[in-house]
Amino acid sequence: MANIQGKTNAGQASFSSIGRSIPRVEARAKVTGRAEYVHNLRLPGMLYGKVHRSTLAHGRIRSIDTSAARAMPGVYAVYTAADIMKLVPDPHYGPAFHDQPVLAIDKVRHVGEPVALVLAADIHVAEAAAQSIIVDYEELPAVFDEIEAMTSKAVVHEVLKPAGTFPDLKHLKDKRDTNIALDFRLRRGDAQKAFAEADHVFEHTFRTQQVLHVPLEPFVTVADPQPNRLDIHTASQSPSFVRIEIARLLGWPESRVRVRVPYLGGGFGAKLYIKIEALTAIAALLAGRPVKIALTMEEQFYQITKHAATLRIKSAVTRDGKITARECEVWWNGGAYADIGPRVTQKSGFTAPGPYDIDHVAIDSYALYTNLPAAGALRGFGIPQLVWGYESHTDMIARALNIDPLAFRRKNILKNGRPQATGTIMQDAGIEKVLERLAERMQWEKPFDHGQGSIRRGRGMAIGFKASISPTTSVAIVNISADGSVMVYCGTVDMGQGSDTAMAQFAAEALGVPVETVTVVHPDTDVTPYDMATLGSRSTYHMGHAVKLAAEDARDKLMQLAQEVGLSAETAPIPDIFRKKYGMQAGNVVGVGSYIPTYASPDAQGQTTNATPFWMIGATGAEVEVDTETGEFKITRLVNLVDVGRPVNPAIVETQISGATLMQLGFTLYERMDFDAGQCTNASLADYKIPGIRDVPAVMENEAVDMVQQSGPFGAKGVGESGTFGVSPAIASAIDDAVGVRLTGLPLTAEAVYRGLRANAGKPLED
Amino acid sequence: MIPFELAEPRSLKGALKLLDTEDPAVRAFGGCTALMLMMKTGVFQPACLVSLRGVEKKHARVARTRGGLTIGALATLSALEQSAAVRKAAPVITRTLRTLSNVRVRNVATLGGHLAHADPHMDLPPVLIALGAELTAVSLAGERRLAVQDLFTGYYETALAKNELISEVHVPAQDGRRSAYVKCTTRTADDWPTLGIAVALKTDGALIEDARVVVSAATEKPLRMAQAEAVLRGATVTDAVLARAGEAAAAEAELIGDARGSAAYKRELLRVYAARAVKQALAGGGH
Repeated sequence: MANIQGKTNAGQASFSSIGRSIPRVEARAKVTGRAEYVHNLRLPGMLYGKVHRSTLAHGRIRSIDTSAARAMPGVYAVYTAADIMKLVPDPHYGPAFHDQPVLAIDKVRHVGEPVALVLAADIHVAEAAAQSIIVDYEELPAVFDEIEAMTSKAVVHEVLKPAGTFPDLKHLKDKRDTNIALDFRLRRGDAQKAFAEADHVFEHTFRTQQVLHVPLEPFVTVADPQPNRLDIHTASQSPSFVRIEIARLLGWPESRVRVRVPYLGGGFGAKLYIKIEALTAIAALLAGRPVKIALTMEEQFYQITKHAATLRIKSAVTRDGKITARECEVWWNGGAYADIGPRVTQKSGFTAPGPYDIDHVAIDSYALYTNLPAAGALRGFGIPQLVWGYESHTDMIARALNIDPLAFRRKNILKNGRPQATGTIMQDAGIEKVLERLAERMQWEKPFDHGQGSIRRGRGMAIGFKASISPTTSVAIVNISADGSVMVYCGTVDMGQGSDTAMAQFAAEALGVPVETVTVVHPDTDVTPYDMATLGSRSTYHMGHAVKLAAEDARDKLMQLAQEVGLSAETAPIPDIFRKKYGMQAGNVVGVGSYIPTYASPDAQGQTTNATPFWMIGATGAEVEVDTETGEFKITRLVNLVDVGRPVNPAIVETQISGATLMQLGFTLYERMDFDAGQCTNASLADYKIPGIRDVPAVMENEAVDMVQQSGPFGAKGVGESGTFGVSPAIASAIDDAVGVRLTGLPLTAEAVYRGLRANAGKPLED
Repeated sequence: MIPFELAEPRSLKGALKLLDTEDPAVRAFGGCTALMLMMKTGVFQPACLVSLRGVEKKHARVARTRGGLTIGALATLSALEQSAAVRKAAPVITRTLRTLSNVRVRNVATLGGHLAHADPHMDLPPVLIALGAELTAVSLAGERRLAVQDLFTGYYETALAKNELISEVHVPAQDGRRSAYVKCTTRTADDWPTLGIAVALKTDGALIEDARVVVSAATEKPLRMAQAEAVLRGATVTDAVLARAGEAAAAEAELIGDARGSAAYKRELLRVYAARAVKQALAGGGH
């Protein structure tokens, strides 16, 4: 049996649990179908809810006729906003703005918005009844494009209602007749002057399309009223936030709301903050029965998406290729509800100039309301949209100046010890290391075969970086039982990323016990303490710290106990200490850890000395073959390099890199929500194509470079998103390298390449 | 999905009796892979679905007949993919099946449903037309035989009567014809094709004695390309002939633009892929 020899030092040379590819703790339960998911939960007396959704992008509700639905045999209840407001007078929710009604009140703002809810014991009855509801609308002018939304007469929200949680949104309170949900601004140096004095000025505009997360487990929530309390079982990435927001809506203390989260079948940022929980909770309370709402795969297209964005980027460059100034304007298409869009606008916005050392920077980043399904966080939190633009821009400049893309990057790369655009000095950011290792693996400085005849080959590279959302808090409890086995109580949600395994490794390392003796308790707000959310690759760092602190606290208490009973804290087996104290196998030692990193808010110019606790770095190199007769191309090699600090579990780190890369490959090549007057016309997996196993590039290499995050728990930091950063621009640059066609919009299609080839040949293809 | 009645007759005759109704909400299915998509999106709401999965086993049989094939309409696409008889008589079918949708679909989808659904994006219709295949349609009134080519009357439309089912597909002996099917998928590998082209060539050395060229996916139904066939018929294959055949196909096909590509782009694909399909058939050796 283990004794106590925990390790705590980031720089330490050897570890017993950290750095080992321990198999995922839940692997067996998942492959044998025994892992718990909310979809499988059925409670006695449970009703199913089905939503009637808006068919208009923007309209005033004249009337809602629910009579046919109410008359349908088996229908338990039909609710509209009027019913919701009997229980919650102001039923608006959201993390940044309280702008989203539980059910549409007076008007609808996008196609697919929930207007009414039917409850029935038979889900099919609920569905038929929901379809029978008739809503009479007065159609209003709608706005769909993010640039048009800046000045559009069509206004999505009459009045802006910031939630009050974020200081930089407070000035928007009660603002009228605008679609701008945040105007983030950063100024460093004197960009205007630098442009005036520049040898060369380059300006390009890049666009990305609206896509979505498509977790294979769609949104699902069960709300179960208890005497004087409410239990919520939900597939959520942020149980603590759900509890706070439901308690706020109901006017209850947090302690009366219990939020439980078992495993998630994928999240990717979709299941953050609050989604269908408020509707389910209020319906259950109105009905006095447990209620389950489970969205179909098709309904997911109306719940939350990834921002379409436009980035205009302009650079001043010296004759020999030094970037002296950069101006970025970013317009984020946030859809009808802000969700976390304003944070995307700011937290990602400040990295818009890219990982380059540029003295003069001006950034304007706008969160915009439009009449499309809401956009929020999706694996990268806006970063992939920006890297797509700034790395394409980087290669276009290099090409124009006839400088090798690697040499151009080397000349401008942002090094540790130098200030980023916010003024924050870079620390422990493996930007240079990732770039150099990518160049090495790609053998960039060796000659490259560009092919011949109708098959042309090309290669490209791209590198991006991301700050962590800050400041955020994680709290953990570590409980040592009398036999020496350990429980970790934390709110981190394992949605497939392997956090249960990582948290067990952190606790085991800090306590010096075998990882097999550690069990991680799933989020249950009755039991597990506060955690901001499982998002933005923050858990390894923040919850890792909290678990480590809790384990250290427990270890210290246990050592104290050993001393008290006259045993050696260094050599006595843990059970002996408990036995000596309590006379039998009894008792617990409980340690608590709470972590919030230091942070300094940006000033009016976006400047701060401490923008983030750590930086995430990701780069991709791509080799492609283009068929010049058809524009079709295939990716023959994809090399992905990331800086994750010290990898906690190298095998899981690799699958996080490849998973992130393949997800971004879908956004790069195939995925696009198509709209007709705000109606998504391909809202199913039959028509919205995500990559499958046969779409994986022939050669894909993934590597975490040798780095240590000095401030991280055991030298570690986040890994979930970094693999997405470089994929899109690397592939676009490889296509350009092969056939001289530069695409500036996603997805990259064969037709777009073919049209580019024809345009280059002076024979453009008709539309 | 709204509940519906599910009938599971034990005989083909029993199925035909159930289908002998004017009610359009009564439909038969083999694997239900295509119908299920229509039901999920609400395009089709059945009152009664008639499963053909329980009818006599002989309707799923694959047999060699006089050098050709007789395939029961309820044979699954996987069964065809793995059939030695199919590989011997018409290896182009085996090759086509390997990239048809995905293995989960192939395991349950049936040949009869694949044809009767008449979605122009299906892979086997152009192949079977190029091979000169025919089918037997049965109803309570009796049976009739028609060319697969004549089955398709429009977008999701067939010559089958409401109370008729496909019972068998007949692939004639190919007598040394060389065949190929090429498809172009512009999105994911398992997406429906943007364009499909099947060719079957009767050759004598370098001379093409007869040619069948069939275009699908980009058109409202699979179509023979008469002009392209005329270019190839009697010609000795050269790059110039291939280019002319491609031009002819591109000129005569009525192409439909959609999310997979504009009509103008599909025309360019057709020009290139028609020539490639002929080349591949010639390079592929027998059949």
